[in-house]
Amino acid sequence: MSDLIQSARTAIDLAKKAGAQDAWAAVSRDRSVSLVYRDGKVEKVEESTSRGLGISLYVDGRYSSHSTTDLRPDRLAGFIKEAVALTRVLQPDPFRVIPDPALFKGRPTADLERVDPSVAKLTREQREAWCAEMDAKAHSDSRVISAESNLFSGESQGAAASSNGFDGTWDGSYVGYSCTATVREGEDKRPEGSAHAVGRFLAGLPEPAAVAALALKRTIDRLGSTKGPTVRTTMVVDPEAAVSLISRALSPLSAASIQQGRSYLAGKQGQKVFGDKLTITDDPLVPRGLSSRHFDGEGISAKRMPLIEAGVVRNYYVDTYYGKKLGMAPTTGSASNRVLALGNKSLAALIADVQDGIYVTSWLGGNSDATTGDFSLGLRGHQIKGGKIGAPIGEMNVTGNLAALFAKLALLGDDPYPYSSLRAPTLVFEDVQFSGT
Amino acid sequence: MSQTLSRRSFAAVSTLGLGLPGLLGGCRGTTKAGSTTMIPGEQAPLADHLGWFSVDKPTIARVMTELTARGADAADLYFQYSRDNSITMEDGIISRASSSIDQGVGLRVVVGDQTGYAFTEDLSLEAMLAAARTAAGIAHSGAAHAPVEFKQRSRSTNFYTLSQPWAEVQTVQKLPRIEHLAALARKADPSIHKVTVSWADGEELVLIADMHGNVHTDVRPMTRLWCMLTAKKGDVTQSNSANLAGRHGFDWYTDERLEFLAKEAVSRTMVLFDAKRPPAGEMPVVLAAGASGILLHEAIGHGMEADFNRKNTSIYASMIGKKVAPDFVTIVDDATQAGERGALNVDDEGNPVEKTVLVDHGVMASYLHDSISAKHYKVKATGSGRRESFRHSPMPRMRSTYMENGPHTREEIIASVKKGIIAETFTNGQVQIGAGDFTFYIKNGWLIEDGKITAPIKDINIIGNGPEALRNVTMVANDCKLDFGGWTCGKDGQSVPVSQGLPTTLVSKMTVGGENV
Repeated sequence: MSDLIQSARTAIDLAKKAGAQDAWAAVSRDRSVSLVYRDGKVEKVEESTSRGLGISLYVDGRYSSHSTTDLRPDRLAGFIKEAVALTRVLQPDPFRVIPDPALFKGRPTADLERVDPSVAKLTREQREAWCAEMDAKAHSDSRVISAESNLFSGESQGAAASSNGFDGTWDGSYVGYSCTATVREGEDKRPEGSAHAVGRFLAGLPEPAAVAALALKRTIDRLGSTKGPTVRTTMVVDPEAAVSLISRALSPLSAASIQQGRSYLAGKQGQKVFGDKLTITDDPLVPRGLSSRHFDGEGISAKRMPLIEAGVVRNYYVDTYYGKKLGMAPTTGSASNRVLALGNKSLAALIADVQDGIYVTSWLGGNSDATTGDFSLGLRGHQIKGGKIGAPIGEMNVTGNLAALFAKLALLGDDPYPYSSLRAPTLVFEDVQFSGT
Repeated sequence: MSQTLSRRSFAAVSTLGLGLPGLLGGCRGTTKAGSTTMIPGEQAPLADHLGWFSVDKPTIARVMTELTARGADAADLYFQYSRDNSITMEDGIISRASSSIDQGVGLRVVVGDQTGYAFTEDLSLEAMLAAARTAAGIAHSGAAHAPVEFKQRSRSTNFYTLSQPWAEVQTVQKLPRIEHLAALARKADPSIHKVTVSWADGEELVLIADMHGNVHTDVRPMTRLWCMLTAKKGDVTQSNSANLAGRHGFDWYTDERLEFLAKEAVSRTMVLFDAKRPPAGEMPVVLAAGASGILLHEAIGHGMEADFNRKNTSIYASMIGKKVAPDFVTIVDDATQAGERGALNVDDEGNPVEKTVLVDHGVMASYLHDSISAKHYKVKATGSGRRESFRHSPMPRMRSTYMENGPHTREEIIASVKKGIIAETFTNGQVQIGAGDFTFYIKNGWLIEDGKITAPIKDINIIGNGPEALRNVTMVANDCKLDFGGWTCGKDGQSVPVSQGLPTTLVSKMTVGGENV
């Protein structure tokens, strides 16, 4: 770690020597290992250690940012010198200043439990054995024609330094596995289902076979899928699918989107935009959280920040640059963990309450317009009939507006998705437009 | 696939459009290579290419020996040096630039259909040998491969001829082009209140050495220019964008092209004020010539990548030789479209490239093969082995995918539709390889009523099933063109640049996202 912070400081010195008034440098090193197993044998093993340096330069009121993986001392010196020269030919930007050192103060010291030492010690034999367990489970149903199991893990270390007094280091580990099973249906169709689990720690992950069992169930559940009707009805969104839907709804909270007029949430701070039940907090201090941190990419000390409270927009993601353009104080420029206030019912209980509607298990393609909030997404899932999960459906779209959709958020489940930094539970929306037959 | 500005891994974040002579930002020789300029697409002497990576033939031989020490059916080293630059104009000033240098070597051993892979950014002999031992771990037995003499393989074609390499273009030359484009967009309509122009250029040098001693080299340029707009009318705000992309040089950005780009971005944005959602449900969809090639990419292209078929997970796994579309449908995937993002002189395994016919007059003809699948199917590789960078092992990928001209006209097609839509511009698409369900998202389009275009539409997803959509292609016009904007295809976590095109085409029925009020 000390070599990384030293590299970052050296880069800052080189930038200042080349004529930059200020500079910010970050250096990182990552090791990653992946083993892919298919139908009884290893298909692919990948293992590597990677490193790189990124630097932001403030030169005569101008700004640029650069990165390189060629860290040989003579090359690095040339690279930075050239980068400073490049910056000089740009136009001065009165809003561009290095982050205020006052924001570096009050850095939390709590142990965020980002590193599990046992991850680095995983052996090739152990990885292969776990994949073999997943493979066997996935093939336990004779209808499965192919199954792919993957075990992936990594460790990273990084350090950042700035010319105005910032110094910080971080490290982290992750480990996870995934399984995808394919079955044959009719002459040509080969529906597939998959499941995965990932965490900073090995402890707490489900057994590999349990992940494969879920993948197998999801695959079998697809058999007999048909296109559902074009209808307006209630939509229940599975926690895993809810992650990307909420992420879509929140991405226009960035100061850059707002300042550029590309946000349906511009000018909405303090206003009620979404349903009463929606409360979301950005929480960088969750132990073992996938996006937990002591400081952000600008060195701003981490703290919890309410984003949405009972449907009211409370805070934007404001970085130094766009904050200055908007006349707003920086909060943090990027999301950490996002945690939702939960409901008190399980998926099954929610489905029973809903009686009739559509249960979305995953999205397929689609997009949204951050400026207007208009969205349209492909989906697959199941019919909800008589309070129970019914026949599989697919090849359908759901279309609407994100603000209007989340205004009609009726209920949330008690089941936050554990394998994402956005911990979304089951969501229930009323009166949603589906396109099908 | 998507059209968003891609941000890859940390190391590959964008970067140095320096063009200051003699510095490492340019594709110029290191001390070993002297001052040789690498000309895009052309082959310099092998020593110059090796010099870029500060390696020589004995070093490569030593690493290859280590890589194949436990046996191998195939093995290769993929050296890559990439330089990328970007410049952004926002709120009236050229406010930021970025640059990146990414360099390393990927080492691969293949035994049967098993792959061992490792990479290193550190090109010292010691680091490369360590990576070679890691990759070789996949092989358990087998005789060490005998050392060979490495020889550069020549070729006669070049699909990306630039009059001036990007390394020689000064940043100050680019700034007036950027300002000109921004000014054109700004003055086009008084309601436009934000203009962002983003410029990107770069080039990569690759050197592929295989265990038989073949060495292939290529120098691949790439550029892209985006124009993003926000417009306001009363309290309604709309934004949209357009971009130009390809393996072109600085002189490609003529006044005419900049005017075209500004006009496209402006019209795509301003039409949104009048655009509505179409009704929801199944209806005929007319795919406008050009970017609508996204249909082919998602509905058939991915499913024809041979790795999915070898693994028996594609809906097309048993369809070769079968009739899948009307006689007038011929679909190709072509690496030889000069200047396109999908153009390649040689693929990332060193295989020669070609124009591959996927569907020949309605009959499923060929998959897209890399070396592994070609061996499995006992056919010639189609030059489709591609990878995002030295950090990834290659797999079958698309290049420029399009449909050949058909017998109808655009006018006939539109006139034939009682109630449906025209799909004009797109942001992204996706497919499930096995089930065959695919989607693409329409940003701009038109409603057709009684054979006439009646109103603009926006922001709807289309979903269909690949083989069904092919069967339902009922008319194809004679106006095929490739999209001028850039597309990036994602698969198994790897992004590669691709192109796509289509003549005006009618699919008789697909499910259209929309709203019934």
